[in-house]
Amino acid sequence: MAKPDSLGQFEQLVLTAILALREDAYGVTIHSKVRELSQPKAVSLGAVYVTLDRLEDKGLVASWLSDPTEQRGGRAKRCYRVEAAGERALRESAVTAKRIWDAITEVWGKDLARELGKRWGKERG
Amino acid sequence: MGSRPPKRIEAIVAALLPSTCREEVLGDLHERYRSPAQYSLDAVLAVPPVIISKIRRTADPQVLLIQAFALYASFLSAAWLSGGALLRDDWGLLRLAAPAAMTLLGVMLDDAYAKPARRSRLQLARGPVVGAGLALASQGIFWISSPDLAVPRWIFCYGCAAGLLLSSAVRMLFPPAAGQLQQVSAPALWIKPSGGSPGIPPGIVEALRVAAIVIVMAIVSAWLASPAGLPAARIFAFLSIPWIVYEVCKRA
Repeated sequence: MAKPDSLGQFEQLVLTAILALREDAYGVTIHSKVRELSQPKAVSLGAVYVTLDRLEDKGLVASWLSDPTEQRGGRAKRCYRVEAAGERALRESAVTAKRIWDAITEVWGKDLARELGKRWGKERG
Repeated sequence: MGSRPPKRIEAIVAALLPSTCREEVLGDLHERYRSPAQYSLDAVLAVPPVIISKIRRTADPQVLLIQAFALYASFLSAAWLSGGALLRDDWGLLRLAAPAAMTLLGVMLDDAYAKPARRSRLQLARGPVVGAGLALASQGIFWISSPDLAVPRWIFCYGCAAGLLLSSAVRMLFPPAAGQLQQVSAPALWIKPSGGSPGIPPGIVEALRVAAIVIVMAIVSAWLASPAGLPAARIFAFLSIPWIVYEVCKRA
């Protein structure tokens, strides 16, 4: 069984999306944000639901139903927020990613790192 | 041209979704609606993972394993009582596993689709009944299309009856995740709407526990003593008994 604070790559994406969306994190917005973060990979809405359920089981996110809106045919949203354990797990993942990046830069050289940095800058606009 | 999904498609999607997530998933699909084709594609991609996720959340692997054993033992005992001809058949054990697997699938689906707030004593027995219905449907198809693969009707009826009894007893002893309010690690989604445990009197639980253990032990002992039992199956049964007794004692 996975440790509750160990995160897969897709779980990291979903947690980051919830964190970035703040008060507006629910199924549709989380899916859009995850799609944006995981470009050029396609992401299905079903995969996001499954991951949200798993994160909730691990106690990394909490959810609640909001009031129904006309835009959604009179149906409620399930909103999500990152819990303290989720923030901790995400921070650990970020630190690990930084270490990976440092190791790669050391092996591939600073020129390639600069080139990748430029490409990321362009993607962000 | 309306900006709402067609009512028929929406009704089908609503019927397929488990009640615990119907509201938000239907709302999300409605919000993303652009055309009937896009809505249908979205639903096809979203609904199966949602159902699988709900099954994962409601199913307890250990209890499912106990139920699988109880169901398979029921069909095995039915085959043994009918003379054991099916047990000596090349594919006999596999043919007996098919209705047991379908019944188990029905139990899992019923748990995933159950409304946690409305769980009652009778609903604990509903899962095995749904499973028996699924097993009957699958055997019906075999009886019509390829009778060689089907389980004989008498064995099926006896196996289903014993399976229903044992499976219901196991579910009353170990209620599904939604009924276990005391379990702190249970997802908040299940704890919040739950109206409480089915509230079975302790006397009935105790009687059921004893009855279930006696029935399982009787079936397995009779089978072990019979010359029709296969050596590999006997070893499997012999090793399973202490494990089941341990699980029952640990959880009771």
